[in-house]
Amino acid sequence: MGDVASLILKRLALGVVTLFVISILIFGAVEMLPGDIAQAVLGQSATPENLAALREQMGLDQPAIVRYFHWLTGAISGDFGNSLVTGERVSSTIGPRLLNTLFLASYAAAIAVPLAIILGILVALARNSVFDRVANILALTAISSPEFFLGYVLILYLSVKTGLFPAISSLQGDMSFGDLLYRTFLPALTMVLVVMAHMMRMTRAAIINLLASPYIEMARLKGVPSWKVIVFHALPNALAPIINVVALNLAYLITGVVLVEVVFVYPGVGQLLVDAVSKRDFPIVQACCLIFAATFILLNLAADVGSILTNPRLRHPK
Amino acid sequence: MNYFVIGFYALLIGSSCLAAYYQKRSLFLLLFTLTLVCFLMGIIGGQPALWFVTVLAGIIALAAGTSYAWREFLVLTLPRDMSRALKTAPLTASFGLFVIFIYAVMGIFAPVIAPHGEAEVISSAFAPADANMLLGADQLGRDVFSRIVYGARNTVGLALAATILAFFIGAIAGLFAAVRKGWLDQIMGRGADVIMSVPSLIFALLMLSIFGTSMLVIVVIVAIIYSPRVYRLTRAVAGNVVVMDYIEAASLRGEGTGYLIRKEILPNSTAPLIAEFGLEFCFVFLLIAGLSFLGLGIQPPTADWGSMVRENATLISFGDVTPLIPAGAIALLTVAVNFVVDWMLFRASGLKE
Amino acid sequence: MTNFKKPNLMDGLAAEAREGRISRRSFMQRSMAAGLTASTATGLWTGAARAEPKRGGTFRWGIHDGNTSDTHDPGTYVTRQMIFLAHQYRSYLTMINPDNSLGPDLATEWSATPDAAEWTFKITDKASFHSGRKVTANDVVASLNHHRGETSSAAKALLTSVTDITAKDDTTIVITLDGGNADLPWLMTDYHLAICPANDDGTIDWESADGCGPYKIDEGEFGVSWSLSRHDGWHGEGAWFDKVQMLILNDPNARQTALVTGDVDCVSLVELKTLALLQRRPDIEVDNVPSGAAITMPMFCDTAPFDNVDVRTALKLSMNRQEIIDKIAFGAATMGNDFHIAPVQPFYPTDIPQHEYDPDKAKSLLKKAGAEGMSISLHTADSVFSGAVDMCVLYSEQAKASGINIDVVREPNDGYYSDVWLKKPFTAVSWGARPTPDVMFTLAYKSDAAWNESHWQNERFNELLLQAKAELDQNLRAEMYREMSLLMHDDGGTIIPFFNNFVFAHSTKVQHNPDLAASWACDGARAPSRWWFA
Repeated sequence: MGDVASLILKRLALGVVTLFVISILIFGAVEMLPGDIAQAVLGQSATPENLAALREQMGLDQPAIVRYFHWLTGAISGDFGNSLVTGERVSSTIGPRLLNTLFLASYAAAIAVPLAIILGILVALARNSVFDRVANILALTAISSPEFFLGYVLILYLSVKTGLFPAISSLQGDMSFGDLLYRTFLPALTMVLVVMAHMMRMTRAAIINLLASPYIEMARLKGVPSWKVIVFHALPNALAPIINVVALNLAYLITGVVLVEVVFVYPGVGQLLVDAVSKRDFPIVQACCLIFAATFILLNLAADVGSILTNPRLRHPK
Repeated sequence: MNYFVIGFYALLIGSSCLAAYYQKRSLFLLLFTLTLVCFLMGIIGGQPALWFVTVLAGIIALAAGTSYAWREFLVLTLPRDMSRALKTAPLTASFGLFVIFIYAVMGIFAPVIAPHGEAEVISSAFAPADANMLLGADQLGRDVFSRIVYGARNTVGLALAATILAFFIGAIAGLFAAVRKGWLDQIMGRGADVIMSVPSLIFALLMLSIFGTSMLVIVVIVAIIYSPRVYRLTRAVAGNVVVMDYIEAASLRGEGTGYLIRKEILPNSTAPLIAEFGLEFCFVFLLIAGLSFLGLGIQPPTADWGSMVRENATLISFGDVTPLIPAGAIALLTVAVNFVVDWMLFRASGLKE
Repeated sequence: MTNFKKPNLMDGLAAEAREGRISRRSFMQRSMAAGLTASTATGLWTGAARAEPKRGGTFRWGIHDGNTSDTHDPGTYVTRQMIFLAHQYRSYLTMINPDNSLGPDLATEWSATPDAAEWTFKITDKASFHSGRKVTANDVVASLNHHRGETSSAAKALLTSVTDITAKDDTTIVITLDGGNADLPWLMTDYHLAICPANDDGTIDWESADGCGPYKIDEGEFGVSWSLSRHDGWHGEGAWFDKVQMLILNDPNARQTALVTGDVDCVSLVELKTLALLQRRPDIEVDNVPSGAAITMPMFCDTAPFDNVDVRTALKLSMNRQEIIDKIAFGAATMGNDFHIAPVQPFYPTDIPQHEYDPDKAKSLLKKAGAEGMSISLHTADSVFSGAVDMCVLYSEQAKASGINIDVVREPNDGYYSDVWLKKPFTAVSWGARPTPDVMFTLAYKSDAAWNESHWQNERFNELLLQAKAELDQNLRAEMYREMSLLMHDDGGTIIPFFNNFVFAHSTKVQHNPDLAASWACDGARAPSRWWFA
């Protein structure tokens, strides 16, 4: 197991380097955005003197390099600074939003991952049957529709026409857990539809890919029923690609849901990030992007470790 | 109970019995399950539900018939080696090829096919469909059908260009990294990590805000966003091929890197790349549609399916299907592409069951 | 309950406003022409449903245009979220009444010296902050000073002519100007000039979100939602709801479905595309109120080809405004006539001939100017207003008939007002309503104005502008504004396609008076304190 530990350490170190590069990239990008923060804050009705005053107040009169290093030294010691626009701590601005995003992501994942894997196994069992074809077509249609459009269609049928679920998922502090699940069902369902197809198809492909292997043929010749062949013989060896695609989709659930948040008015990080970009609020943009990047790196690492642990050949390299 | 309902069930039950009599086991199962489901739907939804099933069956039959005829047509007209491969193609793949063909014709001959200009205002806003306008008018009174036809050219062209560019960048980088290894591999690997770690929509949002939203910029940025995924896949696949004995033999023979990539590695790693192409194409499409949703898509009045969905999306709350048409066009194409990809993958995997 | 809807109400409204019958009359009656068009129109359908206001209930209000990065600082008020919220938890000196006349808020009376250079405001002694402290003249002085001197406030330009603000006693404030300004009490309705509690050092405490408005904030988060409850010590009348909940719903579809499914009682903006469909629903009432907010298309008068007045007029005549109003604003707009006073605003001149769509005349003007078949670029962005890009595309199609090629360039939303507006020679711009013509003209049409978006220089116009500002005789002022409007109409560099209406909707459970203020959507953003549940 020592190999795995050293792999994790190495990857974590590389991850930190990646984050550093990203922070430079994002800083540069925000600097290059047309318009500036003072203009964005004061809007159309600002005079040049106002703008200059506000810029000075925000410390924007210093050169970019100075500001970046100022931010970097803070960030290394765990202080991500204050929002340029509101002056609030970045952590207190992002914190509650991040919790919301994580909640929605885990809600969607809790439905999507088991469902996708079970469906994937089922369609692999019944491959080339009508069931397989129909599932395939539905899955492809789901991933080919723009997310905001899926959201609108779900709102139309499950909210406007039938009134089963609320169309907007506004959260209140004193909601019970069941109420919370109910109010956020539609955004969660949209995300389930978006990510499920990819995972299901990959599960199916990974299993079918193995069916031509000699050992599967051997099992079948021994007379093992075909569901047992798939669940006990093929699935364990197909886990590595499945874990990979699950990790990729989990990352997407956390980082890629801006549009779903907009459609359902869900107070998550994505919306905050888009707002911050339009206001050029660099500390917020930076912190959000780094959180997203870190999520992605960690999930990827988890996927790699997972595939090593599930594959004895990788676990004990020659 | 009227004649339609009686005839509907009679036909279903009759054909189930026929299938049973002629020992077509799977056909019988399918038909009889359908019968049972229809009983249930008839009870819950009444006659409209049965109509729905009939129309759906009709559409599927029509699609299947078209696919069958199209496959036969291709088999007869194409050269021998290609027609042999096509003979065994499933109907879904043939359907996919048909749709792609239609879209290609639509895109290439858009000005000839479209009855009106892309930006031409010809009637009042949201005018209903008539003989002159097949699908009615949009919010400015432009012909929706003409815009869909032009959209095939613009949207598909853009997505295709971006996907091809992404593959070009990603695959070349991946192959080089796999062959050369060493620091080049490391640097490109980390670069790919960086781009992949930033959420794609945000990355695109930042870049498009900086560089503006011309077609070229969109293509390049989308290609940059998606190339790391291709890179990683190519690197992994080619990495497996590179360690094979025949590669070693070739490199001992003194063949150069270019030769190795072109003649030895690429032919042996195309299957997963093609499969990826289908999916990436979907993702690129969706990213561009998402960007349009946030107001950063293709310049107006250029017709683009993504913005056509966005412009009319609110109508759907009132049960108007206008926004469904371009969304359906997007979905149909991606489904078609993936059908073809599935078939190619099946052929390449060597799994012949 | 009865609920009459006149089917072609919007057409009627637009026609009425265009002809200006009503505004002319109200102008003659009291120094300002108010939105009686709005009042009569709304009266048509709510008149029958009028009832005595009742207390109680939670008013859930879906509003558009809210950012997570908004703040309580009145100097940075810019989004609707901040402005609408400010009208609930803070008060102003004066306010625009539902019938668009000027009325008291904190100030009970005001008067000026004959040259209109010194104004005295008297405030009520009944007002208190949510924290319990009484509102005094000191709070008012500090709140106004927040926008003067060394400040980053966006309202600084509004108060540059103010030389001094003093508190004479606890309830009297004297404002001294460097010249006459007959409109000062109107300026005090500006959304930036909210009254906040003063600190001892003369600054204001805006951070605590304490205010003296009809509702106090219980909890909330910018960009998400706000919960407010009635402030018992409020000095005004109304505030019928016990609680107010504001939800920020930026997505048009989300707003609409929230209203349709009953998740909110009122939304501040309705997507015009689906207006007709929404009006068909029996449980929803759509309010369509003409406003002073304008869409303008400024051309740089010092840049070829716009430096020739014939070219400018040709461009004005190449626009089919009725088609634009029908297709872009879906009827919910009042036709513009290339001078920046809306029919619902004070001093609207009614006898200026409308610029009609006339490609032939435009062609001959272009021929005279030697600019036949010219090609120009028109810059716009989606964020200017919903339909901005469509409007420009439509205009470019219309202008083809005059032989003008207009290339529509869609610019990114971000930074449009810093990189495109005032930089590119031909752009599309959206202007919020200003309370009086003087403010608007000084802001964007005076030769040396920082935002002279059309680079228009007209000596006579500048001269009249200064004269009219200090003139207390309303009839003389009206005559001057008429002449200025005519100058803009004939010579100016700005095309004004239309003045957009406020289109908002509420459930029939909510009732309001027939009059609706035209200063902001939802009754001057004061729906929570003016409306009630049936």
